[in-house]
Amino acid sequence: MKRVTVGTLESSDCQITVSPAKTRQLSIDSVVKASFGEAIEAVIHRVLDEAALNHVLVEVIDKGALDYTIEARLKTAIKRFEEADDETELFVHTG
Amino acid sequence: MRRSYLFIPGDVPSMLQNLDVFDADAVIIDFEDGVHPDQKEDARQLTRAFLIHHTPRNVAVFVRVNAFEETAWFQKDLKALSGLPITGIVLPKAHPKDVPHVVKALEGAQLPSYILALLETPEVFFHAHDLASHKAIQGLLLGGEDLTQAFGIPRTLEGEEILFARSTIVYAAKAWQKEAIDTPFTTVDDREGLLVDARKAVALGFSGKAAIHPNHIEDLHDAFAPSSAAIAAAERIVKRSETLKSMRFSLDGKMVDKPVVERARALLSRVSSRR
Repeated sequence: MKRVTVGTLESSDCQITVSPAKTRQLSIDSVVKASFGEAIEAVIHRVLDEAALNHVLVEVIDKGALDYTIEARLKTAIKRFEEADDETELFVHTG
Repeated sequence: MRRSYLFIPGDVPSMLQNLDVFDADAVIIDFEDGVHPDQKEDARQLTRAFLIHHTPRNVAVFVRVNAFEETAWFQKDLKALSGLPITGIVLPKAHPKDVPHVVKALEGAQLPSYILALLETPEVFFHAHDLASHKAIQGLLLGGEDLTQAFGIPRTLEGEEILFARSTIVYAAKAWQKEAIDTPFTTVDDREGLLVDARKAVALGFSGKAAIHPNHIEDLHDAFAPSSAAIAAAERIVKRSETLKSMRFSLDGKMVDKPVVERARALLSRVSSRR
């Protein structure tokens, strides 16, 4: 199954995995989820909307990333996801 | 004149978002050798998103793009930087024949035609004058590691192996009033070695030096700052010149003439601009 992971688990970064799904689904693991979970979701939805991507599961492991990092990592993941074929399982960058 | 140019990897958020707290005069966000080929796109996306949302303060921001000869990467780099408020680019493996094409590409990407040329191949040192003469080239930066790799020899603290390259850069840059930027000192935890290396760069006439670690910045600034004795001597020379209304006189048994007075004034001007 096509599955793409980008980013790292270093401080101030996040790791984002994109894979196919029947609907748009988000899974967020963050130490600041209570305070910033909604803000993280908003960034993800905005980037997915811009890419017109509605049938994906986006899994985020957040290590205190700012909005720009989440946006950039997700854009990179989407780009690789769209370029990948159906059997690709990419895990880029382990940090 | 900028004393320090700190390299920041373009794919590391914790470094990017702190680039203006290291007190460097300039930072160079790296898309080239410091970024693995698999991470080039990460660096482009992170840098673009960062610079769209954040305006770094009190620091000049350059991006070391991939070499012009790496055409696909170079073009993707400029596309990612398009319209961003950067000061300029660092051009790896610079060669005068490429500069007009690079300038055209920068204009196409709505980026300033402000290039720091990275000299790192043996051949380009025979074209340093041509390179420095180009309007878009604002500084020459020595790439000591790639250069000595091409020779198949190791770098040394004494730096004899790069003396010709250093001197060539200083002559070419000074001839065209451009910045002469020395290669970074690449050992992170050798402060004594860093100071020796930086003082050598100052003595040869470099205006600044690149750095690979934030901890090097303060020592670089110290090395490039005139000593209190040098400032005091310059003040005496200028005062004496103004008192005598002359550019030729004797002070402490030494002859002072026009170049010495002008050098003293330039030193005081640099000191004044840093205060």
